Amino acid sequence: MKISKKIVVLGHFGVGKSSLVRQFVENTFTEDYKVTIGVHILKKVVQLDNNDVNLILWDLEGQDDINNIRTSYLLGTHAFIYVYDMTRPSTFENLKQEVDFIKENYSSIPFNIVGNKSDLTTKGLMNEHNKLHKELSLTFTSAKTGENVETLFRSIAKSIT
Amino acid sequence: MNEEEKLELLKDLLLKDEHEYATSLEAKIKVLEETINKKEELSEKVNPIIKDELENFTKEIPSTLGPTITEALKTEIKNSQDAVVEALFPIIGKMIKKYIQQEMRILSEKINKQVSNTFSFKSIKRKFKAKATGVSEADLVLQEEFKPTLEQFLVIEQGSGIVKANHSFSQNIDEDSIAGMLTAIKSFAEDAFEKQQQELQHIEYETFHIHLQNFSKYYIAVIISGSYNVIFKDDLENKLLDFAQNKINKTDLNNTNSLTKQIEAYFKHENL
Repeated sequence: MKISKKIVVLGHFGVGKSSLVRQFVENTFTEDYKVTIGVHILKKVVQLDNNDVNLILWDLEGQDDINNIRTSYLLGTHAFIYVYDMTRPSTFENLKQEVDFIKENYSSIPFNIVGNKSDLTTKGLMNEHNKLHKELSLTFTSAKTGENVETLFRSIAKSIT
Repeated sequence: MNEEEKLELLKDLLLKDEHEYATSLEAKIKVLEETINKKEELSEKVNPIIKDELENFTKEIPSTLGPTITEALKTEIKNSQDAVVEALFPIIGKMIKKYIQQEMRILSEKINKQVSNTFSFKSIKRKFKAKATGVSEADLVLQEEFKPTLEQFLVIEQGSGIVKANHSFSQNIDEDSIAGMLTAIKSFAEDAFEKQQQELQHIEYETFHIHLQNFSKYYIAVIISGSYNVIFKDDLENKLLDFAQNKINKTDLNNTNSLTKQIEAYFKHENL
């Protein structure tokens, strides 16, 4: 039986949401930055315990303020991925408030926080981020090298099927 | 004979051969001068040589300069895509125009053939229909030519855009991506106009029409090719309402395979 799940990827401008999705779906990365307008939808089928799971990935345009997100795009979501750029403090200085906003409005939906561009940082910075957001479970990825990308999406797929 | 005459005689005797040689050289130089100065004569001599050289050069271009020119062109096109598009646009436009003209000619021929085939059963039937309905025979012929055809049928969950059932009548598309994008467009349009109770009902894409019909938990998207007119739309809406009311139940919505079978079975017997 076919299982389809909707995953919404959100976060500030230029944090690497589209690159992360493209790395997962197409195994490619490009340095060219193209702004997502509205939403971009991609699909990838992953095999979990002999079942094919269709992951429908909604890559939303970047928003510096989570209150500006078009909420109709979030309807029927099975999991959220909130992406921030580890090298740009402005993308994570309001992390707690932004996460709280999603948790308040979509409390029953699994939520994943991802620090992207790990290839441009050090282990020390990752530890610092973990300490800073003790109450949140962070995953560090690199859309460029592919580090942790497959693991992230597969673990989300597993948690929602 | 004086001294001077003697010297002349001696000169004649000693330098006779050289004198003849100098005279012949002078004549040759004169001919050459005339050849160079007279364009026609020069052309006559030089043209065959240039012609041969040019022929050789033309033959050798593909092998010697070809790869370099191709590479240069590729780079140039890559670097100035906008300029290439601008240059090609009028040509492409003309090609499209020509194609449309050709298609119109084919259509016109088809209509002529249909109309001239006056005594066929189909034609007599059409004539009666035209008289009875008041619609011109030409319009009826056009209707027959552009009859709407169902291409794809999708039952999509409201909000999430997840495909609950999918049936293709002719071609296969990536139903999940199409359903996602349709839902995003629908959400955007319905949000942007900020009008409650109003819904996006129809999208046109190239030669395809996408009919959208909303229900509470899901919506149905039907991809149609051909003429999508009001009569067809009305008929389709009724069929979809009937299908939703009598064929879809809550259990079906959670079972993609069963719902897809229902669609196949229902639309096999329904004449649209």
